[in-house]
Amino acid sequence: MALAVRRSLRFHGFSLACFACALWPTCLTGQETIVNQSLAPRELTQNEARLYFGMRRRLWADGQPVKIYVLPDDHPLHIAFAKDLLGLFPSQLRTGWDRQIFSGTGQAPTTVANEEEMIRRVASTPGAIGYVSKLPKDPRVRMLEVR
Amino acid sequence: MNRKRLIAALVASLWGSPTPAQSVWNDFQIHGFGAQAVLKTSDNRWFGDSDQTSFDFTELGVNASLRVLPELLVAGQVLARRAGGMSEGTPAIDYALADISLLDSPQHGVHVRLGRIKNPLGLYNETRDVPFTHPGIFLPQVVYFDRVRNLVLSSDGAALFGETTTDFGTFSGTLVYGQSLVDENVEWSYLNGNFPGDIAPDGNSWIGSAWFTSSSQRLKLGLSGAALALRFRPDRDVAWTLDSGTTDILYWIASAQYRAEDWSLTAEYAREPLQWRSYGPAFPDRKAVGEGYYVQATYRVRPPLQLMLTYQEGFADRQDREGNALSAATGGLAPAFSGFSKIWSLGLRWDIDEHWMVRAEYQHNEGTFILSPRENPDPDALAKYWNLFGLQVVFRF
Repeated sequence: MALAVRRSLRFHGFSLACFACALWPTCLTGQETIVNQSLAPRELTQNEARLYFGMRRRLWADGQPVKIYVLPDDHPLHIAFAKDLLGLFPSQLRTGWDRQIFSGTGQAPTTVANEEEMIRRVASTPGAIGYVSKLPKDPRVRMLEVR
Repeated sequence: MNRKRLIAALVASLWGSPTPAQSVWNDFQIHGFGAQAVLKTSDNRWFGDSDQTSFDFTELGVNASLRVLPELLVAGQVLARRAGGMSEGTPAIDYALADISLLDSPQHGVHVRLGRIKNPLGLYNETRDVPFTHPGIFLPQVVYFDRVRNLVLSSDGAALFGETTTDFGTFSGTLVYGQSLVDENVEWSYLNGNFPGDIAPDGNSWIGSAWFTSSSQRLKLGLSGAALALRFRPDRDVAWTLDSGTTDILYWIASAQYRAEDWSLTAEYAREPLQWRSYGPAFPDRKAVGEGYYVQATYRVRPPLQLMLTYQEGFADRQDREGNALSAATGGLAPAFSGFSKIWSLGLRWDIDEHWMVRAEYQHNEGTFILSPRENPDPDALAKYWNLFGLQVVFRF
């Protein structure tokens, strides 16, 4: 009897999680920050990631120019990446980019259409950084941990 | 044949070789926007014949930027702005600058900017003419006067920018030294008329700003200000005009903003001590301290729809908030209510997609301080209470 109750609870817990995921589609996908193989760092702090994705730093520590790739503002993976890994809302990133683009003090990141293009562009561009839902099997990109 | 090959090689070197990632033109960007508004006021004129119906508020901007080197960005924007009787829409260079990065580390960033630079005043001055960067059709006028916008818009000179990032947030500061751009609206607003002669900056001006932004970028606190002087150069060929006087202006803004996911709260307070000297007997020396403040709330009802509510108050002289002294000084010509403005605004913004946005705004006004005397030259025709309804369509790329 006790076992049955526990099973039932577990079952309900599972269905609750599924329900939450249905409402919140981004929780189904993971997010991995990826960089071009030319880059040596294995990890970044969240503050550093915010600066790079905010287009406020132009050089990596080794002197390579930073190349930022993002998905459209309303893409579920972009929203999840901004919130979970950067701890920012997509609207905050947009505000920061717009302020720089329209005052002549910076540029916009390169927007790609989908994850396939993201992987292709990061793989072929030295100094590139982007994000995917699942780490691709491509030796030219590797994972970067955001702490 | 050889010549063709040479041209092909030249074109390839300019526009990118087979490995496009190496070309400098990959870091060339063009962005822009266009906006058109329809305005209707119950009384008074605001951006054209708004008491009828005005279509005279149009903004068009195109900018280009090129990252020549990782440490060097060159950028420029052309802006055409039609604003009723205040601006005809002649295209002008909004900014044109070289941004040189002197220090670029995870903790610190230091930049020097040379050219025409947007002044870092308040939360919005740098992008004040870019419609989708601020909530309403109009910025709160008691802080961001459109009737004298050019005075604080930009500087021809140099700027030093620095920022440092800590665990709890980013501290940044900018110092600008240069010549401010002055137009006829400045004369209309600061001398209350258009006298024979020209008004020009008296020397260079200083503009400075200091900001704190929390790590989550939710909280932003800032202090910014400008110190400048204007000199009137009388036209010698006329029988009478004002003497060669000066106006000293100090303009500062304290700003606070909190942005959550679906709502935001913004407040800014501006003060403007002014001093008029040596304009002659017709325009006695005087001092005044202009003041303005607003509180603005936004709430995102659903992802594309945002509501806005703003309350603002502004005074030509904070010692004379009812405008009685102002009215008495003009022998009753200027009504007391032209010395202040108290405005409620309600707005709805719809971000249709990444390119298009539409918004509507309703304002209830008491007082006419924010109005341009250039658009409303007859004080007798001013109405104390007036309403505004505006609709604006915005495109960006």
